[in-house]
Amino acid sequence: MRLNWQLYMLLALPLSFFIIFRYGSMYGVIIAFKEYNIFQGVMKSPWSGLDTFRQIFAMDNFWNSLKNTFLLNFLDLIVSFPAPILLALNLNELRLSLFKRFAQTVLYLPHFISWVIIGGIVYQVFATNNGFLNEMLGALGIGPIPFLTNPGTWLITYLLVGVWQSAGWGTIIYLAAITSINPELYEAAAMDGATRIRRMWNITLPGIAPTIILMLIIKVGDIVQIGFDRPYVLGNASVGDTSRVLSTFVYQLGMTSGQFSMAAAVGLFQSVVGLVFLFGANALARRWTGRGIF
Amino acid sequence: MNLNDQSVAAQATIRVFMIIAIFLCLAPFVHIFALSLSSNSAILSGKVSLLPVDFNLSAYKQVLGDASMIRSLLYSIVLTVSYTLFALLMTIAAAFPLSKDKLKGRKQMMVLIIVTMFFSGGPIPEYMLVKELGLTNTMWSLILPILINPFFLMIMITFFRAIPTALLEASEMDGAGHLRSLLQIVLPMSLPVLATIGLFYAVGRWNGFMDSLYYITDPKQFPIQLKLYQIVQNSMTNDTTITEGTQYIKILPESIKSASIMLATAPILLVYPWLQRYFIAGSQVGAVKE
Amino acid sequence: MLLKKMWGLAGSIILTAGLLAGCGSEQQNVPDTGANVPQERVTLKVGIFDRGNSPSGVTVTNNYWTNWVKDSFGAVESYIDVEFVPIPRSGATEKVNVMMASEDAPDIVFASTDNLLPYNFAKQGGLMDLTDIIDEHGPNLKSYLGDVLEMGKVDGKIYSIPGKRVYQGRYTSIIRQDWLDELNLQMPATTEETYEVLKAIKAAKPDSIPLGFALRQSSIEPIMWSFVEPLNEEQRYTMTQQLGATDFPVLLPGFKEGLKFLNQMYNEGLMSPDFALDTDGNQLNEDIMNGKVGLYSEDTGKTYNSTPGIAAKLIASEPAANLVPVDPYTNSEGKHAKPGYLPNNFYIMVPAKSERAVEAIKYLNWLASEEVMNTILNGTEGQDYNLVDGVPQRIDSQEVADRMYNAGDIELMTSAVDYGNAEMNRKAMVSSVAEQFRARAEKSYEIGETDTLNQIRFPDPIEAEIKYGAILGDLYNEMLVKVVMASPQDFDATYTSMMDQYMKSGGQKILDERIQAYAALK
Repeated sequence: MRLNWQLYMLLALPLSFFIIFRYGSMYGVIIAFKEYNIFQGVMKSPWSGLDTFRQIFAMDNFWNSLKNTFLLNFLDLIVSFPAPILLALNLNELRLSLFKRFAQTVLYLPHFISWVIIGGIVYQVFATNNGFLNEMLGALGIGPIPFLTNPGTWLITYLLVGVWQSAGWGTIIYLAAITSINPELYEAAAMDGATRIRRMWNITLPGIAPTIILMLIIKVGDIVQIGFDRPYVLGNASVGDTSRVLSTFVYQLGMTSGQFSMAAAVGLFQSVVGLVFLFGANALARRWTGRGIF
Repeated sequence: MNLNDQSVAAQATIRVFMIIAIFLCLAPFVHIFALSLSSNSAILSGKVSLLPVDFNLSAYKQVLGDASMIRSLLYSIVLTVSYTLFALLMTIAAAFPLSKDKLKGRKQMMVLIIVTMFFSGGPIPEYMLVKELGLTNTMWSLILPILINPFFLMIMITFFRAIPTALLEASEMDGAGHLRSLLQIVLPMSLPVLATIGLFYAVGRWNGFMDSLYYITDPKQFPIQLKLYQIVQNSMTNDTTITEGTQYIKILPESIKSASIMLATAPILLVYPWLQRYFIAGSQVGAVKE
Repeated sequence: MLLKKMWGLAGSIILTAGLLAGCGSEQQNVPDTGANVPQERVTLKVGIFDRGNSPSGVTVTNNYWTNWVKDSFGAVESYIDVEFVPIPRSGATEKVNVMMASEDAPDIVFASTDNLLPYNFAKQGGLMDLTDIIDEHGPNLKSYLGDVLEMGKVDGKIYSIPGKRVYQGRYTSIIRQDWLDELNLQMPATTEETYEVLKAIKAAKPDSIPLGFALRQSSIEPIMWSFVEPLNEEQRYTMTQQLGATDFPVLLPGFKEGLKFLNQMYNEGLMSPDFALDTDGNQLNEDIMNGKVGLYSEDTGKTYNSTPGIAAKLIASEPAANLVPVDPYTNSEGKHAKPGYLPNNFYIMVPAKSERAVEAIKYLNWLASEEVMNTILNGTEGQDYNLVDGVPQRIDSQEVADRMYNAGDIELMTSAVDYGNAEMNRKAMVSSVAEQFRARAEKSYEIGETDTLNQIRFPDPIEAEIKYGAILGDLYNEMLVKVVMASPQDFDATYTSMMDQYMKSGGQKILDERIQAYAALK
């Protein structure tokens, strides 16, 4: 306890990083309340109060994008969030060590393919009339299934491609958590005659619970944040009502000759909502499990 | 025995499932690899799927013969290694104190950090900051502004907190300072998470290029992913070039694009198999210490 | 806060140092009007597009043509050093925005061929008024650009210099002549005849795609605009909707009939079934090259160019295949109406904070001289081209291709070699096309320029179009896909609901603003 100065000393550099690089440019958020003139700069641009927000809230597309963002993220939370956990548990149960290593290495490959390229491949595989999958189904007398052009089936394609792209990569953190579990616990359980399923349930899952909770809280905090590439690349004109999300909306605002204030206002809205959700999730986690992330 | 049968069946199911998953994850890479070894006319008429058509190595000869590609590759390696090192050190330096519940001001500092996960000044103020600090066109511009990822910091804090406090208190009883317990107990027990976060940082830095698009104008300092982005975009903007009415613009063939993708992805793919051993080592150290 | 103060302090120290240095140098350089005294050397920063296509061993800022420009312009204006600053072609607008905001932009900067960016910059006070400087230092530039220069005006002052687009044709349709011959069909000359031909192709070749179609303007516009009824001036100004750089016919009379036509084609299986997903046109190209498509329209010149080499690749696998340009769609007046391009290319700007505006104009003026223009775009005779019938023919070799790879991006004042007459220009444009396709390519360029509709431009952009343009552009594609793919009995309902959504999402605002702007114009 006497040596707390060591802890503060350790914190000095990291904190100065946050202050200089993250807070040093933070004044930029106020352009949401300004009529931003890029030549006058953030400070000298005239204030516009809440005008920008009023304009955005009056746009149908904003609400549609917000609704879809919630929808896609919520479905992702149900489908894509558990996938890496299940995959990690499965990998952990594999006994052939060489096969296990190979499987781990291959499963995370899709994370390294850029979305532009995934988009091209998805189109070749899932297109309605000359897609690879529908040609195969056609040979079996099924289909064609509009994987990409009907909102319902598109959602499923969107979710599955997401799982494919991220599940393998997502396992890494859980595998790290599993390796940190004390092996003596497994040995003791084996001596008691516990089945593998039981050991998984009683030792592995509680062992990685803090990590799961952390990831879940972060995910909930990101409920209104959505990556640009995946909905943009997978979306198409037939499912625009479903694939239009906040990130693509902001992109449209930004691309049309720099509506910086509007883009910043949407961003600020997302940040505030995200922060509220994060603190909410953290409080709930604290109440239910006695563990929050801060 | 009944139990054994069950587990044999379970093993078989898991393996079949894994083999399907492996195929699905491997196929796109095999496809891109096949493209890089095929002729352009075969690619354009859509004949190439998982095996090369009109096998040839000319795309690789051309990409590897381009000195600027090799330079970018080396630059990216140096950048990624230095960034990962700095980022990991700084994240540890922040995570260790913040993992201690009793630290005064901990909560305030956490809020300070969490806020940065959600709020940022946007591209223009960030660019101005980097420019005013004189970092543009230096490697520092690609290291310092993203030195600590708050999300990774949270992960590390969570792992540090899972280390039994009894161990740490015992070492502090012996009169050892916090620094010693960090170096002698926490870090050796945390190899899995260090490897994980290191991998996250390395992959993030390797794949990221948007910052270099803004901060680097000197072609000698283009990371490989920025070159790759331009190559991929170039082949997508053929039609833009036509509509710009600008004649005489060279368009890169598809096989060059694929060969560049393979070249730019291979080095970072090698990192994970190499890191795998730390995952095993980590659990053993934990066992011995306890 | 403290940090900001420290920066302020550091800034003022640097500023003071600069002032002191300034004083010092002023004392040495006693103002002198004598012509023989060497001027202080200055550096002119010139933007250049980086398309990521530099050949091995050179960079976009250091290659044959950048060096040639430095030497040759240096010989004319010996006190100016040219320094090239790369602007990534993809993401150019974002990059230029950031450079402008941080006073980091080169003295000659550009990002796009539409006028929204220069207009916004000018309105925000970020661009140099070039009117007087051009009068003084830009005689070539003025005479070469002529009326095009007017397009760079905002509030009566020249704030940007649009390069010239030499060829303003946009779209040409291409048909399989060998299929017509095989099936004993006449070359179609009207929309009705075209429809009959497509039906005959479908009947004879059930697996083919009679009309190749992608979700791209090049597929959509030639058909949709041929259905638009002839308009009076007021209708054209008020009812056109400009989204991005293109005029859209959504509100024009005839639009619905165009959709109806496409809907019929789709439901009868006459057009590409997956067109809704083919936003980059790759599927269409592939289908054409694999000999599946009977008729399609494209950005003029694409089929016969060596990249991606559509005609060449089709012939390689089907030697009898014959892709021939055609003008198949007619409007109610019997004309082959289709959109063309505006006569401008990239808008070139000089930042208000630039200290080298005069040098920038001198540089652009130099680029606008005929000799420089021809040298950059053609190269050197004997080395890069040979003269055939007075037209330079590019020598077909890797070395030449690598040397000339970015010549078009260096020559900012024009998009192509300009002989001042359309026929010569077409001849020059096809000179880089493979010998066997040249005649057809020339015909295709001719068709591209036939009956083109001029785009409508108000002196100042419409605010609502700036705000809602991108959103409505996407919505337009959605409308097209949904309405065209609807079953015939759902056509009307789908059209009405999509149109309603379009108007609500900003279409109505654009219409209102255009009506006002037109009234103000009168």
